[in-house]
Order: sequence, then C-alpha cells, then structure tokens
Amino acid sequence: MSTTLQFYRAGDSWVHRLNPVTKLAFVAAVTIAAFGVERLWWPAALFLLLEVPGAVIAGVAGRFVRMVLGFFAPFLVILFLLQGLTYPEPGTVLLHLGPLEVKTEGLVFAGTTALRLLVMVAAFVLLLLTTHPGTLMSAMQQAGLPPKIAYVVSATLQIIPSFQARANAIMQAQQARGLEVRAGGAAARVRRLLPLMGPLLLGALTDVENRSIAMESRAFGRPVRPTAYTVVPDSAAQRAARWAMLALAVLVIVLNTLGVFS
Amino acid sequence: MTNTPAARRLPPWLPITAGSAVIAATYLYLVLWRPESLVGGAGVGPAALIALAGYLVGSALIIAGAMSRMPTSTVTLLPIAIAINIVAGQINNMVGLPLYLDSIGTVLVGLLAGPAAGAATGALSNVIWGISISPASLPFSTTQVAIGLLAGLFARWGWTRRVVTGVAAGLATGVVAAFVSGPISAFVFGGANASAGRSLIVAVFQAMGFDTLGASIGQGLTVDPVDKAISFLVAIVILRALPARFSQRFPFARAHAVFRPRAASVLARSGAEAPAPADPAPADPGPPPAGAPPGAADPDAGDGTTGGGHR
Repeated sequence: MSTTLQFYRAGDSWVHRLNPVTKLAFVAAVTIAAFGVERLWWPAALFLLLEVPGAVIAGVAGRFVRMVLGFFAPFLVILFLLQGLTYPEPGTVLLHLGPLEVKTEGLVFAGTTALRLLVMVAAFVLLLLTTHPGTLMSAMQQAGLPPKIAYVVSATLQIIPSFQARANAIMQAQQARGLEVRAGGAAARVRRLLPLMGPLLLGALTDVENRSIAMESRAFGRPVRPTAYTVVPDSAAQRAARWAMLALAVLVIVLNTLGVFS
Repeated sequence: MTNTPAARRLPPWLPITAGSAVIAATYLYLVLWRPESLVGGAGVGPAALIALAGYLVGSALIIAGAMSRMPTSTVTLLPIAIAINIVAGQINNMVGLPLYLDSIGTVLVGLLAGPAAGAATGALSNVIWGISISPASLPFSTTQVAIGLLAGLFARWGWTRRVVTGVAAGLATGVVAAFVSGPISAFVFGGANASAGRSLIVAVFQAMGFDTLGASIGQGLTVDPVDKAISFLVAIVILRALPARFSQRFPFARAHAVFRPRAASVLARSGAEAPAPADPAPADPGPPPAGAPPGAADPDAGDGTTGGGHR
C-alpha cells in the first residue's frame, strides 16, 4: 500500500497486535458507555482508566495526548463559552455579565458534554494511532463487511494524498505557463483557484472510467466472496470480548432509555 | 456463495427503508414528541445516546442497502466524490469560513447516480472523515444521507437542468439538512461547533431565548441553505464542464435527462434558448445520447484538460 492518509505509528505492543475489529468494538462500546451514564465523573474515569493506559501500553502516549488535545481543545473552549454564558434553561445564576449570565447548570452541562466528547475522540485517536487503515479494512472485510464498502473506504484514504500530489503538479504546470502565484489580495487568490481546481476535478473524474473498466475486468462486484491476501490474526478470546462489549453497549442503551442512570 | 452475508441476499430497498424508518423514528422521538425526561437537570438525559445510536444505525443500514447492487462505474466514482467532500470541507475549516462545503461530492453523486447512491456517498463520506481526520464529523453522517437523497430526487424531478432551479434545490436541501442535524449538534455536541463562527451564531440564538436544540436548528437554518446552494451550484458547474460522454455513462443521469440544457446549448449555438425544462425526459437507453454526439460536436472536449479519458 502506498502512502495513505494516516496517523498510524508502527509498533509491536499488545494493543497493536489486537484484531482491529476488537479495537473498533472497544471504540463503540466506550463511546456508548460515556454517553449512557449520567454522572460527571464517569466519562473522566473511562478516559483515565481505559484510554490513557491503552495509549501508554501501545507506546504512543505523547502523540495521543497531542492529537486528543488538538481535536478537543477548540470544543472545550467553545463549549464553556457557549453554555457557560448563554445556557438557556433556568438555573442558579452565579454571575451577571451584562445581558449574559453564568449558571451552575450551564457549567455542569458544558463539563458533561465536553468529557463525553473527550472519551469519543480519544477512543478514535487510539484506534487510528495503533491500526493501519489497510489492516482495519481487511479485518472488517473478514468480519463480513461487503467488499464494495471496503474498497470505497480504502480507495478514498489513498486518493486524498494523490489529490495533493496532482494539485502540486498542476500548480507547477500553471506556473510554467506564467500564472502569478503570489501576487494579489483575497479576490485574486480566489480567482487563482480556478486554473487549479478545474484540471484537478476534471482529471480525477475522467479517471473514474478507466478505473471501473480495469476493476470489472478483474471480477470486482461479483457476488462471490473473494479470498483475502492478508489474513488478520484473530483469537477466540477476542471474539468473546467483542460479543461482551457489544452486549454491554446494548445493555447501557436499554438501561439509559429506561432512565436507570438519571 | 454460502458465506455471502445475509444483507446481500435481501432486496436493497429493504435495508434502505428500514434505515430511513430508524432515522425518522429517532427524529420524531427527540424533536417532535420530546419526552419530559429530556429537559432539566444536568446533561440532557438519554437524548444524546438515542440521537447517536439511532442516527448511526440508520445510516449503516442505508449504506448497506445502497451499496449492495451498485454498478462498478458508480462504486469507482464514490472515492473521488468523498475525497472532494473531505478536502473541500477541510480547506473550509482551515480558512475559517462559517460554512461547511463538505457535500459537493455528495451532490455530484446524487445528480449522476440517483438518490440511493447519493445517500451512501454522504454517509460513507462522514464515516471516513471521522475515522481518518476529524472524529467529530462522524455523528453527522445522517445529515449527509439527507443531502445525497434530496440531490438525487431533485435531479430526477428535473430541477438541475437549469442553474436557477438547481440553486433553489440547494436552498431547499439546506433547510432539510438544518432540521436533520439539529438533534446531533444540540444533544451530542451541546451546541458547540468546530468553527468559532458557527458557534457564535448558536450563542446568539441562545441569548435570544431559544433552547439548545432550537438554537442549533436556527444556526443550521442561517448557514445550511447558503452552503447547500453553493454546493449544488459547484456540482452542476463541474458536471457541465465535463464531456457529455461522462455523465451519459450513468443510467440515472441518462434516463432522467439530468443535464438537458447543456446538450441543447451546444447544438443550438445559433441563438435559440434552451428548451423549457418541463418537457418529458427522453427515455433513451441506447449508448448514443439524444443530445450532443459524444466528443464530436463538443468544442471543449478536445483540449488538454480532458485528456485523461483515452490513455
């Protein structure tokens, strides 16, 4: 597999060697658990007791923290500004700031939502850091994902970097025939996008035709299930763990809908 | 054939209908019926989990149903369309415009290959964006399902034959998108947004006295129609710039004459206006389309930009 869009860090830890479907099941289960229980400390506990140790065992702790903060910090700031200052439900007012009021309920709501998002984002980052996208798709396909969907996902992840390469080539070609790249203000910059985007999109879309002919000649889309080139290792223990996490997630949804945790 | 999963032996409309029903039920429960337990106290009760689970299960069913019988020419179009979505959306987020611009590819597939393919493109687009660059966009895949579905339907009804009606279709799609995405932004994200500009709009609505759900829908209504109108416009412009041969390869675009005026304008260069878009679609299944002969009468098909077709 050529360069793909990825955060994957190669490694040989226990977390890396897990079947990707198991990790995906963990992402789903931990996200559902975070959203399902109505306690402020609960998502924080999930993050500190499950996700952070996972990142440490996998040896990706530094990158994990940086990426999680990169995704999460803007949400955190905006959530507290938004719900801290303009929480719409009635509540205990702590502070008056002109037309805006800081309410306890608003801060609690912002905190709960932020911690839940933290668990969701961190679970995904952990999956991305320890799983190669190609392996993930092979494993999903062996678990029963239709090959067409697997193709679309892995092809997209490879096309995005090739878009960038193509955009660079087009830019250089346009410069060679005298396009001014640096001069001008915002309007000129927008106008310069046209000679870049035009060839980029038209070229990509005309490639579709060649690609589909090549794929059909290799029996893509036949109803027979193809055999796998790389077999992703799996174990009975992991299979059991997946079913357990799935059952747990369903249980959380049922209990939550019945209002047990609220 | 024995290990073909059950989903592929079902007729494709069954999972699509089931998925739409799950999404509609989730929406009705959360927005229209709005049970008492959702309001008050810390957090928002079970609403966040119900919104997340219902929307994602519905989207998964729609993807499975729409992809199962998809022809290869459409399957190979999907990665390109999804890449367009993700790249444009990512550029938009970096530049900091208060728009989304992440559904141009979805509209493109909806116009070329019909509502089901458009819905699958939209859903997969946000799933891939979620598992590759920005996990926060994954829960919004249902919004994209609605956008792709509506793009396909408007194309079937002939709204995309002219630019004016195409932009109107975009505005209408934006209104629907705002209502669909409301529960996710309110219950899952607490009204916050990756974009400071869009979050400010939510804050203004909340300060005016709307609850978080109302403010999120209000934010959507101020942004989405403009955004989707731009997306429809860009998609129509791109598809018109391509050689007619390309869009005629898709049975949906051919059967419903999605791009009528272009064929007419090439032939009727002498000054006659494009015919009224109301006249019925030529149900012409044969490869030579009724309009321009592929490539031959087309002045812009000859230059270097389209050279990729014949390597």
